[in-house]
Amino acid sequence: MTHASPTPTKKYDLNFARWVYENVDGGDRMALCMQCGTCSGSCPVGQQMDYGPRKLFMMIRAGLKEEVLKSNTLWNCVSCYNCVVRCPRKVPVTYILHDLATVAVREGYAEAKESDNSRFAKAFWWSAAKYGRTDERLVTALYYFSFGMGEGYKRGMANMPIAMGMVKTKRMHLGMPHKCKNTGELKKILAKAAEIEARSHAGGAGNANPAGGTAGHDK
Amino acid sequence: MSERKTGVYLCSGCGIGEAVNVATLEGVAKSEFRMEPKTHACLCGDEGVGMIKADIDAGVNQVIVAACSARVMTDRFAFEPHLTIRADLREKVIWSHPAGDEDTQMLAEDYLRMALSQAPKVTAPEPWVDGDYSQRICVLGGGVTGLTAAKEAAALGHDVLLIERSDRLGGHALGASKRLPHRPPYDSPEPNDVDALVAAVKAESRIVVKMSVTVTKTAGMPGKFAVTLSDGSVEDVGAIVIATGWRPYDATKLGHLGYGASPDVVTNVEFEAMLKAGRPQRKSSGQPVKSVAFVQCAGSRDPNHLPYCSNVCCATSLKQALELIQADPLTNCYVIYEEMRTPGVAEELYRAAQKAGVIFIKGKVKGVGADLTVTVADELVQADIPLQGLDMVVLATGMVPNSTNPDAAAEEYGADLLKGDVDPEAPIKVAGYCGSEPGAHERREQAIPPGGPLLNLQYRQGPHLPVLHDGFADSHYICFPYETRRTGIYTCGPVRRPMDWAEAAEDAQGAVLKAVQAVRSAAAGAALHPRVGDLSFPKINYNQCTKCRRCTVECPFGAIDENAEQYPQVNATRCRRCGTCMGACPVRTISFDNYSVEMLTTQIKSVKIPDEFSGKPRILVIACENDAVPSLDMAGIKRNSWSAHVRVLPVRCLGSVSLLCVSDALSVGYDGVMLMGCKPGDDYQCHFVKGSAMAAERLSKIGETLKSMMLEPERVVQVEASIADADRLPKVIDEFVDRIMGIGFNPFKGF
Repeated sequence: MTHASPTPTKKYDLNFARWVYENVDGGDRMALCMQCGTCSGSCPVGQQMDYGPRKLFMMIRAGLKEEVLKSNTLWNCVSCYNCVVRCPRKVPVTYILHDLATVAVREGYAEAKESDNSRFAKAFWWSAAKYGRTDERLVTALYYFSFGMGEGYKRGMANMPIAMGMVKTKRMHLGMPHKCKNTGELKKILAKAAEIEARSHAGGAGNANPAGGTAGHDK
Repeated sequence: MSERKTGVYLCSGCGIGEAVNVATLEGVAKSEFRMEPKTHACLCGDEGVGMIKADIDAGVNQVIVAACSARVMTDRFAFEPHLTIRADLREKVIWSHPAGDEDTQMLAEDYLRMALSQAPKVTAPEPWVDGDYSQRICVLGGGVTGLTAAKEAAALGHDVLLIERSDRLGGHALGASKRLPHRPPYDSPEPNDVDALVAAVKAESRIVVKMSVTVTKTAGMPGKFAVTLSDGSVEDVGAIVIATGWRPYDATKLGHLGYGASPDVVTNVEFEAMLKAGRPQRKSSGQPVKSVAFVQCAGSRDPNHLPYCSNVCCATSLKQALELIQADPLTNCYVIYEEMRTPGVAEELYRAAQKAGVIFIKGKVKGVGADLTVTVADELVQADIPLQGLDMVVLATGMVPNSTNPDAAAEEYGADLLKGDVDPEAPIKVAGYCGSEPGAHERREQAIPPGGPLLNLQYRQGPHLPVLHDGFADSHYICFPYETRRTGIYTCGPVRRPMDWAEAAEDAQGAVLKAVQAVRSAAAGAALHPRVGDLSFPKINYNQCTKCRRCTVECPFGAIDENAEQYPQVNATRCRRCGTCMGACPVRTISFDNYSVEMLTTQIKSVKIPDEFSGKPRILVIACENDAVPSLDMAGIKRNSWSAHVRVLPVRCLGSVSLLCVSDALSVGYDGVMLMGCKPGDDYQCHFVKGSAMAAERLSKIGETLKSMMLEPERVVQVEASIADADRLPKVIDEFVDRIMGIGFNPFKGF
């Protein structure tokens, strides 16, 4: 996203809905949301969310910018795509939530930056982009130690029995991280994807966020 | 009239001959009525009809056909100008009762007796035709509705008088920037084309336009209206189309929505004018508006303001928002709504507005500040949202019908007559409700629309057109929308219900067709809806009249005036031939050529009443021919069955049922009487508006009569029937028969 949202205040913005419609991935379809609630009803993790997608969309329309971008709804989406499949107005709910998560990080909503899920997403993306695969040890280590050395050690040790069990049953190995066959090609693919994404969003609406930030931007 | 010679024809086709003994039926006609019946196996076929026609050539001038329902084969058994009396042996006898049964045979015989006994009491009606009839149509109101009505009436070959109160044609459409979409794909505002309509009307030589005039007096009746105008002229017209339209609700009463607190809070009508003038600008600063909030239901659906929905405000706001966005895509438009009501194809406009980025917020506006902060109780977020930084707030106000002339002073004696005389809130208690019986309402005081009468009718029942609860002209929204309770006067457009431009134009076409029918029927002496073509009309025997005025008061259409000697005076072309006057008259002095209290009581008395030891009760069902009888016919067609102890007597309307019919029935030994008719009340289905309500009203007073006869009041009930009740009515009848059997036989049997 090249453009920051034109925010008079960080808290409340009457123009927020219009900005989301025009700048967020899938926002143009969100304009057609008719508040039926099929998304919230279909969400397997709705109970873990501050607000379901339906209510979040209505809050966007009401201009409650801060409450939207601070909510854990953006981070707790597990990309199951149930809502996208079921939406009668074909609103790509998942894309919108993930893109709003990027907005939240970029615009410095502290809660978003510091949320567990944003840390985990960063660690996951680092491994996936580097090796073409996720390495359980590196992803978890990056994630744990993003909380600091002491906290990282504590979390790591707490999960040690699980790790040992996985090693014993050959679910986790101890050597060099596995890579995909040709990481050079992977790099080229990712570079090309970033280029396409930047081009498709050229002229205002955009997500110039090639290799960092959100995971699962699998458009 | 020449000597009556009656021919009786029985049909044994359609299974009648197999289910009942036709020879016995012939015997009834021969021995009891001294008539020589002829039977044919297919009476409606060419041979059967030919037989009847041959008899007519030989001198028969009254035909009695005992075959199928009077509602079918009407063209085959029409022998104009001779009267045809029908007895239904098919739908109400053999199709709804077991074949070969003793009770079915008795039923068929009784229906034959009812037909034969009425023969001496009726004659073929002579129409009332008197002098010249005007074919000219007067259209009141020069807006889209009135202009369309005038144009269509002229296209049908009628001269038109178009009356407009202001000094220009076009009405509210003149102030509209664009109009709502009225053709596919229905998703974008369309150009305002009222100028073309005005030009077409001005170019039409059949149309005389009078502007800056109002109607001061209207006298006469369909075909013979004399309309006096404020310029002093008197115009003869045959029918009147009212297209006086609407006016916006007075926004100064909407202080709670910020009207008046800031110049940038405007109504949708004011905003439309701004759009027409170009890019809307803030009145306070002259800056073009960049973000606008539309507040829906401003004063509408609010018991303190307009209690109803005006139907077009939602679509109008969508249109205005789309116009703003089409002019500048960066304009922010918010629509704050409680329910988005986009009837019909306006849904497409709603979707177009969503796609264009209009932001919809569902909730109620709690207040609008002087700085244009709109606080919304958002129903979907469940919180109060302050919308800040708006440039303009548009209040979507509703339509107030011009069912009166708001510029004229209310006449003291007239204002009260505007109140609906059918209580709209409290449903009249009648048996046999579909579903659960409605609860009792607290009676709501009906607001009287301000202003004087539109037409100043010189009618006994007052100068006004009757209005419904919310001030709209009385009409039946669905079944007969243009009819008012003043025959020959038709309403169309927003004066009868809120509607948009395209709907109003369509409405005008409908009302004009009714008006054309009115002037043409008046000249022929024929009735209008619902007894279209009926040539009979009420005749009053002044020798017996007691000047009680019940007929002049009760006529649903104001057809009867009082003359100088206070005798009732029928204005024949205003009459719809329901017979409510006949039912009202306490001394049976009102009758039609082919319909009278005497005819009904003769039919009632012609039925053979078995004594109580036979175990066979007799129940009289007096059924309205508009909905109840067809519904029973359909029950027969579906082979639904009901008690064979019931005798159905079709009547024109329950309003025409004199209580004398009921007391006569009980005194000759019927065990119970059921009146079966349409739904009364504000949402009436009565084809004569008040007939079934009048019947209920009269019936509420029969209890005392019954008690004085030592009879149980439960023996007489009124039941609501609709056209779709073919499955329900047999059950309602059977339940009533069971209830009567519980009470026991009528002690008057055999006297």
